[in-house]
Amino acid sequence: MDVGSPLGGPATSGIADALKGALPGGTGKASQEQRRVTLILGGVLLTLGLRRVSFGGAALALAGGALLYRELSRQSGQAGAETHMAEVTRSITIGKSAAELYRFWREGGHLPRVMGHFAEITETDMDQAHWTVRVPGGRSLSWDTRVVESRPGELVSWQSLPGTELPNRGEVHFRPAPGDRGTEVTLRLHFQPPGGTLGAAAARALNGLVPSLLVGDALRRFKSLVETGEIPTLDRNPSARASTA
Amino acid sequence: MKALVWQGVNRVGVETVPDPTILQPTDAIVRITSTAICGSDLHLLDGYIPTMVHGDILGHEFMGEVVEVGREVRKVKVGDRVIVPFPIACGHCWFCQHDLTSLCDNSNANAKLAEKMFGYAPSGIYGYSHLTGGYAGGQAQFARTLYADDNLFKIPGGLTDDQVLFLTDILPTGYMGALNCDIQAGDTVAVYGCGPVGLFTIMSAFLLGAGRVIAIDRFPYRLAKAAALGADPLNYEQEEVLEALKLRTGGRGPDSVVDAVGMESHGLGLGGLADAVKQTTRVLESDRPHALRSAIISVRKGGTVSVPGVFGGFGDKIPLGAFMNKALTMRTGQTHVHRFVPRLLEHIVKGEIDPTVIISHRLSLDEAPHGYHIFKHKEDHCVKCVLDPWAAPRQGNASGTSKAMGAD
Amino acid sequence: MRALCWEGVNDLRVQTVPDPEIVNPHDVILRITMSTTCGSDLHFIDGYVPSMLPGDVIGHEFMGVVEDAGSEVKKVKKGDRVVVPSFVACGDCWYCQHDLYSLCDNTNPNAEVQAPLLGYPTGACFGYTHAFGGYAGSHAQYMRVPHADVGCFQVPEGLRDEQVLFLSDAAPTGYMGADFCDIQPGDIVAVWGCGGVGLMAQQSALLLGAERVIAIDRFPERLKMARDHIGSETINYAETPDVLAILHEMTGGRGPDACIDAVGMEAHGTGPGYLYDKAMQTLRLVTDRGQALRQAIMAVRKGGTLSVLGVYGVMDKFPIGVIMNKGLTVRSAQQHGQHYLPRLLEHAVKGELDPSYLATHRFSLEDGPRAYQMFKNKEDGLVRAVFTP
Repeated sequence: MDVGSPLGGPATSGIADALKGALPGGTGKASQEQRRVTLILGGVLLTLGLRRVSFGGAALALAGGALLYRELSRQSGQAGAETHMAEVTRSITIGKSAAELYRFWREGGHLPRVMGHFAEITETDMDQAHWTVRVPGGRSLSWDTRVVESRPGELVSWQSLPGTELPNRGEVHFRPAPGDRGTEVTLRLHFQPPGGTLGAAAARALNGLVPSLLVGDALRRFKSLVETGEIPTLDRNPSARASTA
Repeated sequence: MKALVWQGVNRVGVETVPDPTILQPTDAIVRITSTAICGSDLHLLDGYIPTMVHGDILGHEFMGEVVEVGREVRKVKVGDRVIVPFPIACGHCWFCQHDLTSLCDNSNANAKLAEKMFGYAPSGIYGYSHLTGGYAGGQAQFARTLYADDNLFKIPGGLTDDQVLFLTDILPTGYMGALNCDIQAGDTVAVYGCGPVGLFTIMSAFLLGAGRVIAIDRFPYRLAKAAALGADPLNYEQEEVLEALKLRTGGRGPDSVVDAVGMESHGLGLGGLADAVKQTTRVLESDRPHALRSAIISVRKGGTVSVPGVFGGFGDKIPLGAFMNKALTMRTGQTHVHRFVPRLLEHIVKGEIDPTVIISHRLSLDEAPHGYHIFKHKEDHCVKCVLDPWAAPRQGNASGTSKAMGAD
Repeated sequence: MRALCWEGVNDLRVQTVPDPEIVNPHDVILRITMSTTCGSDLHFIDGYVPSMLPGDVIGHEFMGVVEDAGSEVKKVKKGDRVVVPSFVACGDCWYCQHDLYSLCDNTNPNAEVQAPLLGYPTGACFGYTHAFGGYAGSHAQYMRVPHADVGCFQVPEGLRDEQVLFLSDAAPTGYMGADFCDIQPGDIVAVWGCGGVGLMAQQSALLLGAERVIAIDRFPERLKMARDHIGSETINYAETPDVLAILHEMTGGRGPDACIDAVGMEAHGTGPGYLYDKAMQTLRLVTDRGQALRQAIMAVRKGGTLSVLGVYGVMDKFPIGVIMNKGLTVRSAQQHGQHYLPRLLEHAVKGELDPSYLATHRFSLEDGPRAYQMFKNKEDGLVRAVFTP
């Protein structure tokens, strides 16, 4: 993607699909509403992206189609659509010490809130949790994870137990940020999508933008919760959209 | 004397021209011992800076020995070994007195022309188009220098030409590029462009307390130079810049970003293509600001964008919204060289900066067209060409003394 | 409750919407006593700023009385009369702790979706698109204010609502714009735009020590306001062929030491440059017209400062060469209101700052669509329409 226009390029067409898969099913009216809002928002961004493409297209007419081909193949290659492995790594900086963040991640039952935008988590004990995630087509996937390594103030890593349709593993690293900035937190999620129709849908959802949004959101929610004690939300936000209900 | 002259877009050649003479009582004539080709000379070569005339002598990085002085020159003596800053300072106007010498009110002989383009005229510059005065440049055997007492810096004995030549432009330019970042201890600075200015920006950023410098380019040999100076290399043809910077900075982004590329930056993708097509027309858009756009997007919120890269005209698709919403500061300008020479000279004397590490080629003046060619096309791992105006042309070189050579 | 909602490009309607509720522990519910139109609203009304959704409650410059407070709210309580900056800030993140409140890391629920536009997401702004958080705005009877202890500023006794209302946005934005100019004794500051923000920037420049302020606009009644209420010298650009030449003369050929652009992406201008921009913008190829900004860049003296308060997207024909060769410093931001409000309230108490003259017209909320129509067309000398819900 052209670094100067982050929405540019055909990769944007993944956004709509991405958002469909990315969004939490959620049961409440509020989360339905938020889902709709985010979908439309995704559409707006998509439109912006397409507009850039047509702008680029005009220039392309001048310069010939060969470069377009290269551009398209480069970008789809980057998105990794052909692979059946999805890995996302995102970082955020949080204004607390690594020790505090480690404790917050491991103790106190915060994970269900942090991951609440895409998964329902039930923590069975400190090392085990049950995850349920909705995927396109109204189905849901669930799995159990177990912490496989934890080093206080440094990292936690976990992986799914055998038997799930969507084997996955994840890890979170903590390392000091320079100056008074706190701690750099890196979250890495790794999915191995299954075969079949569900697998294809999951693979589509799990590649490219979706997991990036999910992981990015998870980190932001973690940061907000730790720094301010709450997660910003549009729950019960007044609008004329809800007025008909 | 021999001099390297502009012969039209993408054509430079060595010609025999009249020797310079004293025109004003404050002038001095310098016999040039070392001179260099600057990245901004490529903008002239490529024809992106207007008001060049066939026969103009190029070159604004030069030093040598004073051989003649005007009758009002007091401090500079014949025989002095001096460096000559590229912007010409009168020493008396409000700007010179406030150490803003590249904005001097009195040294630009074509101020009227520059005022039309910029609203107000910047200082004169040697060998850099008629917009900045039309003064003959220093890629020659001799040069007339103006306001000698206020411009020529005497060099202490014991320092070689190579050690001090870059004080005329690129070393202070890199230093000001870093200084404009307002670096706080431990800051991360990203530098677009690992040419000579970018490399000096990297050195300066560390001197000024940066904890980390990330160097962005696409040429592995230049990234290797940056890495040797302690920077983390980032090849933008292999990694998406914004995401790579986020990953390396804990999601925050670099505290400041330096555009040491300027108007002819290379970009990827459709936007890049559109710019290149438009710029080729010379009318639709004169500047290809990819690095600048990327800098605005990838710097952290509340950060600084420092622009030592040269721009001449207009840029399209500038993400001002991102600039505004992220509350950025942009600092730029031609370098106020005079302000920085004393402190940088001190760093060189103390051994804290070694400017010679960027030199990749030493050529005779006759080989200058070849130098322009390899520098522009990044051939032969070219980073910086230093020219000796008095060296004999080497046997078998393609360029002769009076034969023009297309540098493209 | 009743609220003024965006239903599409150039389509505002007053609707009945659900009352807001306390959702997070640092929230308060505010009963809005006054709320006003802002020039930046026109950008999404005209469709130049994306990510509005039909049914969104708009408005981001307001004051009110605290009606209800969440369990963790410490400094404000029910019954307090407060004024609130447009940007929501947590007070805890690195940016808030460095007085860069509009860059807050923790208040924008749509941060991940906004990030690709800017590189990194900003804080949220009330009633201003989903990219900026999607929080319901202030042109309503009630409103939820998150992080109330950081955002709510008690109004001192003795100040009327219209004296305080503009301290929510126009005054801190203008003051910040002047603050960016790093004003030194003897400096001349030129301000493009005599709307609420432009007038506040002019007044702030004088409060911060500027020798002279020059205001540029095309509406005689606004220019008169700049002269009468502030003491600015004025240029009507519609009546002169060459603003730059006049500024040149007025500043002894030096140019203003700092220029403030308080116009933004829908700047009007004259000549072919303007027509090119207008055509491109109508085609939505580029979002910004940018005449005021280009003129300011040309006008400012060498080594001077350019302070950009107008809201922009992506700009073509941006004179980066002029900025570079004149060695300018460019500064811009959305307002860090939480940083400036204490000193602005102090100025207001001392009588040094009374923006109530901006409130030229009052409307009931039900007249919202008409008020915005008049505001957009600057009918009847309207500078700011004020709602009393």
